[in-house]
Amino acid sequence: MKKLAIGLLILVVFQWLGQWGVAFLGLNIPGQLLGMILLLVVLSLNKSLLPWLETTSSQLIRFIALLFVPITTGAFFLGPEIFAQLPQILAVLIISTLLAQWFMALLINRLRRSGDK
Amino acid sequence: MSEIIAQQWQIISSTSWPLLLTLAGFAIAWWTYNRSGRASLLHPLMIATPLIYFTMQIIDLDFAAYYSGNGILNWLLGPATVALAVPLSQQLRQLPAMFKPLTVALLLGGLFATLSALLLVKLFGLSDIVLLSLAAKSVTSPIALSIVEQIGGLTSLLAVATMITGLAGIVVAKTIFHLTQLEDERWQGLILGVTAHAIGTAKAFESSPRCGAFATLGMGINGILTAIALPLSIGLFIL
Repeated sequence: MKKLAIGLLILVVFQWLGQWGVAFLGLNIPGQLLGMILLLVVLSLNKSLLPWLETTSSQLIRFIALLFVPITTGAFFLGPEIFAQLPQILAVLIISTLLAQWFMALLINRLRRSGDK
Repeated sequence: MSEIIAQQWQIISSTSWPLLLTLAGFAIAWWTYNRSGRASLLHPLMIATPLIYFTMQIIDLDFAAYYSGNGILNWLLGPATVALAVPLSQQLRQLPAMFKPLTVALLLGGLFATLSALLLVKLFGLSDIVLLSLAAKSVTSPIALSIVEQIGGLTSLLAVATMITGLAGIVVAKTIFHLTQLEDERWQGLILGVTAHAIGTAKAFESSPRCGAFATLGMGINGILTAIALPLSIGLFIL
């Protein structure tokens, strides 16, 4: 429990640093993402924070679907203008995912073949 | 700095009883999902959200009140985004000798996943708000959410879009790998992570830890790159 709380505190501090940094530097990226990049840099340079973060981060990631329940429920309230476009939206998502996987698989096959030579 | 903290405290302190609705809905969904042997289409979000929606209709609760009542969960999305650095740092440390093909596949694959979606949105003549909401659909949801907030899309539409993308990704991946004869599980993992984010990564971990490690790598790096590139370039698609 203590580990969980300290881990959360570290994450929050990095989130704040990221949000503050983005505002301070006038960057055009999300603040919590800068926080994540900062933590990534710190962790690659020095592992000492890692044991404090492992429990919290794996629990947060494990139950991430729970955190997304409220915002996803909002989809039922999007309104007629969006609902009317729903079939096309579904098509966009499915087709682009399929194409991207197919493209990546062919690209990787190609890269590996040229790597073998 | 104090402004940022005050704003977040406001989100947390607005938490109230609608949180129980979310927890109950999620508990039922989680139980059903595990009971079904984790069938993709019974993803917890697919069950919990309609349950909560119908309950809201019955008890006459509007979305704004429900959403702010779940403040603590909404707030936790921030730390959850930062938390992604932990598994990513563990994978980066053992970044293999295949650095160059990995980088090329990641860059082009991530670009393709986003670009193909944006072009299809244009092709189907969908509205700009839909375009802004779908732009980050193949990025892992907490990062995607912050990108869409940044560029001004509808976060609820994005949340559904990432869920559908992830589910579509794990359903079609097997066929794609078969058709293209891609059998190496490391590369399969990378593709799952880049195109189907966390849902794909969870699937990859079911294949093997190695497959999952590559999916984590693909998902994390693609998330960072998209978050940097998209806010800068999205203007090109809105005319």
